[in-house]
Amino acid sequence: MDDRLTCILCPIGCELEVSRVGDKFEVKGNECDKGLAFAADEVLHPKRNLATSVPASGTTARMISVRLTGGVPREMIFPILAEIAKLRPALSVRRGQVLIANVLGTGVDVIATRTLLF
Amino acid sequence: MKAPVVEERGVVVIGGGPAGLAAALGARRAGAEDVLVLEREHRLGGILPQCIHDGFGLFLYKETISGPEYAERLAEDAVREGVLAETGAMVLDLTPDRLLRVNSAGGYRLIKAGAVVLAMGCRERTREMIEIPGTRPAGIFTAGSAQNLVNLQNLRIGNEVVILGSGDIGLIMARRLTFEGMKVRGVFELMPWPNGLERNVRQCLRDFGIPLELSSTVVEVRGRDRVAGVVTARVDEFFRPVAGTEREVACDTLLLSVGLIPENELSKRAGVELSPLTGGAVVDETLMTSVPGIFSCGNVLHIHDVADWASFEGFEAGRHAAGFLVCGAAAGPRVRITPGENVRYVLPQAAASGAAGLELSFRVTAPARGMWVTARGAATGASYYRKKFARLVPSEMQKIKIRKAVGEDIEVACHG
Repeated sequence: MDDRLTCILCPIGCELEVSRVGDKFEVKGNECDKGLAFAADEVLHPKRNLATSVPASGTTARMISVRLTGGVPREMIFPILAEIAKLRPALSVRRGQVLIANVLGTGVDVIATRTLLF
Repeated sequence: MKAPVVEERGVVVIGGGPAGLAAALGARRAGAEDVLVLEREHRLGGILPQCIHDGFGLFLYKETISGPEYAERLAEDAVREGVLAETGAMVLDLTPDRLLRVNSAGGYRLIKAGAVVLAMGCRERTREMIEIPGTRPAGIFTAGSAQNLVNLQNLRIGNEVVILGSGDIGLIMARRLTFEGMKVRGVFELMPWPNGLERNVRQCLRDFGIPLELSSTVVEVRGRDRVAGVVTARVDEFFRPVAGTEREVACDTLLLSVGLIPENELSKRAGVELSPLTGGAVVDETLMTSVPGIFSCGNVLHIHDVADWASFEGFEAGRHAAGFLVCGAAAGPRVRITPGENVRYVLPQAAASGAAGLELSFRVTAPARGMWVTARGAATGASYYRKKFARLVPSEMQKIKIRKAVGEDIEVACHG
């Protein structure tokens, strides 16, 4: 076994044992198929989603929560947070609305996670 | 004096969070005509709107979404399916015969409910409840109140933070505050194992190099007007601080993530029997409490680690509340379900004798690997359930299903 990981894709949090066999990975302990891809990703290039919130334009604290539509390489977390910090979305905002498309070329979008009407 | 008008209602759900909204949906889907949710906040969703991280909805919506999205979707489902949801409505009192005194936008009023579902959620334990000595400066927050201030009110709560307790909200906030430019000095946990989910230890602490010190606690808070630092110490197996291990950690903020307590003030008013093991109601397999027609679900019943499970419990409680409107409570002999070795609690605590397909929720007392979970008859020693679990930890609630009909008291245990 090369690494012991906790799968973070869902709250079950399977404990994965990852072994490198040639150019492939052997994974034990996963309760679903997603665990296989996660284990390989996590060893080679970990990905994470992130969430934060920003005030709507013209307000100090009418907060719009946001997240990414998928995982990004872990080292992109802080550069993306800096991009999101510049956002001041105009009201009204709908849940799922894209606020930044393809953020920093990562292929994932920043979306609003709540509906806030004017 | 004119007698006050009493508003007659079918199923009344107290609390509009993940459990309460689901309970209302469950009641509607089971045929209840009149289902009213009373929510004291001005927004539905309970605690979910401030839980902006993802990881919600995997079981209910088959995709991973954030708390606010989960709340909006569940609220939309409820309204679309004919649930009446009233925000800004605070239930002040509940009687055993299901009379509710309510303060709401229209003023004070009385509601008589055919059935009541308790879904009031929980509160955080505070510094006072764990009795940390020291001064009383500003800068001490429970993790959930910090989450509210940061995510919903756009406030900066400090610069350097120590987190006491490794509950999930504390772990989530360690990451959140790191995102906001705060320096998290460390997370200190009294127990020898983390109190939150493994996935949160990994993605909230390890990713950012935040130290997690197990078997440790905060023994003193320092600072006059604002927190200036805390003194931490290691603890022995009896959780007593070990002399000579004290260490001062400079910080201006202390976050507490030291447990959640079901909020049962209204349940007590109604005479509902509470369990000292869960802090929630004692319920049967229909999630009915000791008071006929009053049901309980979600964090007010027992603390859940996943919102989806609170909702699934809500659907069940709502379904049975709708059934109560039509049939009343089932009479007949009951069996008791009790926790045995290495099981902290098991729910429900009672069931109708002869019930088959019982679904039990339980938590272990201490982490266990490769252990058997069993359910045995107290009188006959008969085996009702037996399965080997690779890994069990106190932070993860488990569910098991007993297929056989249970005709005697049973004990659920975890052993080698």
